Amino acid sequence: MAVRANPDLIDELQQFGAKDAVKCYQCGNCSAACSHSDDPYVFPRKSMRYLQMGLEKPLRSALDPWLCYYCGKCSEQCPRGAEPGETMMGVRRWLTAEYDFTGLSRLLYRSFRSELAAVLTVALLTGLGFLSYGFLRGGGNISVYDGPGAFLPVHAIHTFDWTMGIILGLLLFINCLRMWKFTMRNQNALPVSLSLYVRNLLLLPLHFFTQKRFRHCENKTPWANHLVLMLSYLTMLTLIMVFLKDMQSGPAINWYAHAFGYLSAIGLVATTIYAVRGRLKKDAAYHRHSHESDWMFLGLLLFVSVTGIIQHILHRVGLPMAANITYIVHLMGVVPMLALEVPFSKWSHLAYRPLAIYFAQLQQAAQAEGALPLGRPAKPQPVA
Amino acid sequence: MQPGVNQLRESSVKSTSQSAVVHIGGANTGNAAPRIGVFFLHDGAESPASGELSELAAYASHLPGVVVVRTIAVSSALDPAALAIELRQAGVNTVVLAAERPGFYKPAFSRALALAGSNGEQLRLASFAQRGDRATADRAILASAVQGVPFTAIAEPAPASFNTATLVIGGGVAGIQAALEIAESGHKVYLVERTGTIGGRMAMFDKTFPTLDCAACILTPKMVAVSQNPNIELLVLSEVEAVTGSFGQFKVKVLKHATRVDASACVACGDCAHFCPVTASSEFDVGIASRKGIFIPFPQAVPNTYMIDPAYCTWVLSGGKKCGACAKKCSKGAVHLDAKDESVELEVGNIIVATGYDVLDARRVERYGYGAYPNVLNSLEFERLTNASGPTGGKIVMKTKKLNKKTKTEEWVFEPDGPKPKSVAIVHCVGSRDRNFNSYCSRVCCMYSLKFAHLVREKLPEAKCYEYYIDMRAFGKGYEEFHERIREEGVFLVRGRSASVIERDGQLYIHGEDTIAEHLITLPVDMVLLSVGLQPSHGSAELASQLGIPTDGDGWFRELDYNSEPNSTGRQGIYVAGVCQGPKDIPDTVAQASAAAAHALRSIVGASARQHVENVPPTPITEIAGSPARS
Repeated sequence: MAVRANPDLIDELQQFGAKDAVKCYQCGNCSAACSHSDDPYVFPRKSMRYLQMGLEKPLRSALDPWLCYYCGKCSEQCPRGAEPGETMMGVRRWLTAEYDFTGLSRLLYRSFRSELAAVLTVALLTGLGFLSYGFLRGGGNISVYDGPGAFLPVHAIHTFDWTMGIILGLLLFINCLRMWKFTMRNQNALPVSLSLYVRNLLLLPLHFFTQKRFRHCENKTPWANHLVLMLSYLTMLTLIMVFLKDMQSGPAINWYAHAFGYLSAIGLVATTIYAVRGRLKKDAAYHRHSHESDWMFLGLLLFVSVTGIIQHILHRVGLPMAANITYIVHLMGVVPMLALEVPFSKWSHLAYRPLAIYFAQLQQAAQAEGALPLGRPAKPQPVA
Repeated sequence: MQPGVNQLRESSVKSTSQSAVVHIGGANTGNAAPRIGVFFLHDGAESPASGELSELAAYASHLPGVVVVRTIAVSSALDPAALAIELRQAGVNTVVLAAERPGFYKPAFSRALALAGSNGEQLRLASFAQRGDRATADRAILASAVQGVPFTAIAEPAPASFNTATLVIGGGVAGIQAALEIAESGHKVYLVERTGTIGGRMAMFDKTFPTLDCAACILTPKMVAVSQNPNIELLVLSEVEAVTGSFGQFKVKVLKHATRVDASACVACGDCAHFCPVTASSEFDVGIASRKGIFIPFPQAVPNTYMIDPAYCTWVLSGGKKCGACAKKCSKGAVHLDAKDESVELEVGNIIVATGYDVLDARRVERYGYGAYPNVLNSLEFERLTNASGPTGGKIVMKTKKLNKKTKTEEWVFEPDGPKPKSVAIVHCVGSRDRNFNSYCSRVCCMYSLKFAHLVREKLPEAKCYEYYIDMRAFGKGYEEFHERIREEGVFLVRGRSASVIERDGQLYIHGEDTIAEHLITLPVDMVLLSVGLQPSHGSAELASQLGIPTDGDGWFRELDYNSEPNSTGRQGIYVAGVCQGPKDIPDTVAQASAAAAHALRSIVGASARQHVENVPPTPITEIAGSPARS
């Protein structure tokens, strides 16, 4: 069946940061230069073509963009300055918006004002919420940081964390289901048996924790940087979700928990500063272009890390009131960052990337088993 | 915005409001007297300086029939509707567009005239680009446009004395053609060539596309004609050092490097080279073969004379203490090792520049491995390899490792009995259409690549041949048919630019995307030919500044007007021919060379005609009957 073209697709993608795809003359240099591109997932040229022709549906069902790690080699060699690497980045933002059923992602990516307003609103609500909780239901005394009678008791924060975690996880899960529907249940996709799904399931944690595909890029620095950032982030998340009590008690330092906290804090700050520096200097192809959402992401991450460190220090040096205020400011960064980035924006790629690798592997396995695309009759009709 | 221009705008508005009262609807009548609006258009960059512009605008307002003068700084697209209102209010029925390239704005004004109810054809262009180096010509250009007279019909100021000799710089096919055209019409030509022979790039080629004629069979008769024409003075190993004077009376200083061999005595027997102890790589064979320290570029060279390369000659390098074998062995006594370079001054009326091109250094595109892998060749190397006068006698073979007895090192060389490649890949657009190298299309590569494929398939019918192309540009007469023919000959055309060439275990692999099949292909091949693009020959920028002519952004010599004056430059009396003006194939080069010669001849013949007129005593003319009275 013919594919319906959407001529406005390329204009739409421009708002997601894919600016120069029109310049592409389809020489295919990028696909051949890429160390990830391989049959049957040949990119980025094909995605550029989909964009130029407005082939929205094939683009939406493509896994290719998630298999690209933006090392920038394609953009460096591109004879036309069509920035295929940045186009793939823009397509990933667009796909995030397509997968998101609430439509919020589309709004946040396309309008920086909306994103800023959303972040500020959530931050304000968080601040007000925790302040009123502290005074009305919590300890009531802002000069008490920990122990019984703490302004923000650990159990309350704990409950809040887990409630938020479950809601965000659920939202992300629905988006992942939509991704599965688009990429695995379209006309050209091959049907995958349940046993294949189960047999390959280990791919998900493997690629989630090691990001080993990223390592295939010629330049290893981005991979190392990304891995440190992700592991630091995960460590911190685990500490907060599970060991919050040990983290918050003090002022003595609980080395068995805090040692991990310090390591991940160093990891977060160092990698964020490295990324900010790269984006300001624009010294590598993958840092040449920055979408507003990139700055928002880095800004929030740096803000959250620094305020977290400060509240920790203030608590240790015996300034409980200052520590409490900094803690609330810290939460005013954490909540919008997680609430907006995890299901609707950049953080969601933590789920989409391993899923895409998993799905791609499933499709190749199904092809090896001789499956026929979903959109075709199961058996070829015999010729009369 | 300069104050002068602002003032001008105000004054034009005044005249607009006055005429609006008097002439409403007047523009509709077809045979009304012309009411001319002069519009100066500039984009800030290329226009007469703003002071000159306001002066010019003031001048325009006094020309007969001019009712409105306006200066527009064009920043975005012109709005025909708004212009139409303006034209209608002023009752303008004829528009003069004055700009560097006014044709660019013609459609908008033509539409505006039509919208205003006038004839859209009542539009005249005053192109300042036509002035060349004549700074005073702007007024004349403007006045002739207002009067509806072609500017070129205006008599050019004749130089006080006119030298009918012409200098042609560059002895490739363009220079040869231009020199022959002028010399054969009886005028003196100095042909200055940097290398030791005329013939240029075309002499190196094996076949021409699309006819597959033997290049030498076309070129060598012309080269011989040059050597035999008494009107042509050939200066080889010579370079232009300085140019002074102007149209009609240029003085050109030329440095003549000594060939150290007397051309009138040398019979090109080759005894000297036989005894010469030093070898160097041959420029004519682009380094894939060697020559001696005393050499002739190729057997059919013109002049057919041996010459000494002072960079390698033992006698020269030792200050005359060692060797000298060539001088001793020459039976004609033609070798004069102590000959000195000399500087000569030529006086000419016209100069034709035909300096041709260099090919892109393929080492710059590192991923193709040129220079690292012995069997990755550039296009000129393949031309020499497949040429019957090349090092293998025209056999297409791979390089083999051979011990150089003198340096005791192993070298990759072409041997006539070397192994034949079983598969050859040809990569188009190497360094062309690429922002990282040359962003322009070099125009000839698609066709010569197809020619290469034909030669491979013809000489090695067993070999597979793959062409990696982006777009197949077969634009000339017979080119598309040639493309079809090569396709039918069984050449595999892969639509997609290859990204890299690698060598593994002595086997070359070419890696690229077949964008039609949407698959990545890694292909083992024995030989890779890189279709490198053309770029201005080295020294073009220096020559441009010596001649005082502009170059464009890519370094090619800039023509005066792309469409109407493709042979003239910004300087009167200096013309361009061939690839030095922009990439082109042999037919176009030859055509442009003849056209450049026609330009030179026009001025030569024009000069003698003027002298004839000047010698006739003037008849007093009192009145011309029926001449229109000027209002």
